[in-house]
Amino acid sequence: MICGGLSNVGEAIVMEPVIVRFFRWLKSSAGITILVTLVIAAYAAMDQGAYVIINILVTGGMWALMAMGLTLMFGVMNISNFAHGEYFMIGTLVAYYVFTPLHQHLESHPNHLLTLVAPVIAVFSAFVVGGMSGILTDRLVFYPLRKRSKENWLMNCFLLTLGISVILINAHQLIFGTQYKGIVRYWPLPPVSLFGVYISIDRLFASVLAIVTIAIFWVFMKYTKVGQALRAVSQDETGALMVGISVDNIQLLAMIMSCALAAMAGGSLLFMYPSYPTVGLEPLYNSWFVIIIVGFGNIAGAAAGGFMIALLQILTRVYVGEGWEYVIPVLLIALVLIVKPNGLFGSKVRGIWEK
Amino acid sequence: MLEVNNLNTCYDFLHVLWDVSLVINEGEYVCLIGPNGAGKSTVLKSIAGLIEIKSGEIFFKGISIGDKKGDQICRMGISLVSEEMNLFTGMTVMENLSMGAYTIRGKKKKEALMNFVFELFPRLAERRIQLAGTLSGGERKMLAIGRSLMSDPSLLLVDEPSLGLAPRVVDTVFQALEVLNKKGVTIFLVEQNVTKTLQVVDRGYVLERGKIVLEGSRVELSRNEHIRKIYLGV
Repeated sequence: MICGGLSNVGEAIVMEPVIVRFFRWLKSSAGITILVTLVIAAYAAMDQGAYVIINILVTGGMWALMAMGLTLMFGVMNISNFAHGEYFMIGTLVAYYVFTPLHQHLESHPNHLLTLVAPVIAVFSAFVVGGMSGILTDRLVFYPLRKRSKENWLMNCFLLTLGISVILINAHQLIFGTQYKGIVRYWPLPPVSLFGVYISIDRLFASVLAIVTIAIFWVFMKYTKVGQALRAVSQDETGALMVGISVDNIQLLAMIMSCALAAMAGGSLLFMYPSYPTVGLEPLYNSWFVIIIVGFGNIAGAAAGGFMIALLQILTRVYVGEGWEYVIPVLLIALVLIVKPNGLFGSKVRGIWEK
Repeated sequence: MLEVNNLNTCYDFLHVLWDVSLVINEGEYVCLIGPNGAGKSTVLKSIAGLIEIKSGEIFFKGISIGDKKGDQICRMGISLVSEEMNLFTGMTVMENLSMGAYTIRGKKKKEALMNFVFELFPRLAERRIQLAGTLSGGERKMLAIGRSLMSDPSLLLVDEPSLGLAPRVVDTVFQALEVLNKKGVTIFLVEQNVTKTLQVVDRGYVLERGKIVLEGSRVELSRNEHIRKIYLGV
């Protein structure tokens, strides 16, 4: 018996039934917030009509994608990315320049299949190019910095990402000009009727795409070996190196995924946000709202927070008035930071970067 | 098995290790003792590839590993239990252990290793669904050793296993290390608890101000006048 003297100290593990754990979760700040959000959403839907829900799903899903990328990058690489909106901008740009030629070709040679597939091609190429721009950013900017010095890392990265943002915005202006490069809609199809509300196919596609991506991303992080390695690196970089995880490759992967998600959000929202140099600023602010409210390094929280922020903005627009949709979230952030400085979903166990 | 020749390591401008050379043979239980700040942990971190070495050579099973990174060295069969343990605090005990087996292919082998760890530390089996960040100091140390074992290492580097632990838990950890050594794992132990260490090891090195000043078998070391005066206080 190796641990003879110790076994009397420990108590046996009692697995609680799911219901008990669910109710305890409901009593936590995350549970209360989500419950309140759902109630408010249901009330708004009854009061204003179901289109509110669809709007929340479309924009909220996209903020969730952006915020998940942001929190992934912060967790794994310890970079607070203020150039995240520019990857959204790259996404809109790529989708525009892929979709427009296809669209023109379709006008002279009608083809049903291509009409259906063209938007998917556009969004997918935005995803791919976003990922490639992530590789470029990592290898040109962050990898050399990691090799040289880790001193003052957070501040250096903050300044670097601001610089990347300025460079990308001005590069867009220099090469593609400042005019709006947008499309009216992706699919020339009549809107579908759902619960008595007419929804354009574009919006339906964007919301379904967001939800499916969030689900895939969650499964990937939770159940695959690479996803677990990502979580491990975010919790302890040295520990990850010690168990044989190639930290460099994992950090590159986090960068790719983060940028690709932002670009995909940009691509699939092209019908709402035409491409112009500073189109990324609004999504950037919104995803930072999400991150600050739910707490850093919490991917599930970021997904839920995206929808919460979208609900908040849409309700503000409906009940308070246009132009207030940035004021209310900022007020809420101030309140959350006073009451719960770790964010609504902040965990009790601290990550390495908080030490 | 492990051969270190004239190892020099620096932190920026601070030269910590000066021409450290040591040899560890297969199946041995070797310790490195020395006062605070002598560079003991730096020796282990240099071998494990966590810090870059300035000059010198490190051979493991005849292959030079001096310029390899930590993850590659882990894949070759060297596993480090660091002083600060570097556990994944937001993961459960089980998840920590299965991360330890990141380089292991095959589910069966993983399960066998995990069962072995739970046998070695029954305490961890009790806590298997608890988050690593909520464990006590002794449990964390056990988990850190357990996680290192999950990569099925042939050389285990252990840094200060007794640091900050209750005497009873220290006994548990030392007993576990002895069991491992009997099972054929080569152990290189860094320790400040010299009395205890010299009871269990085969051979030892003494590191002072970044230089190896003494080496010898357990009996030689415990009879040495310098050791008796400085470390054992006899």
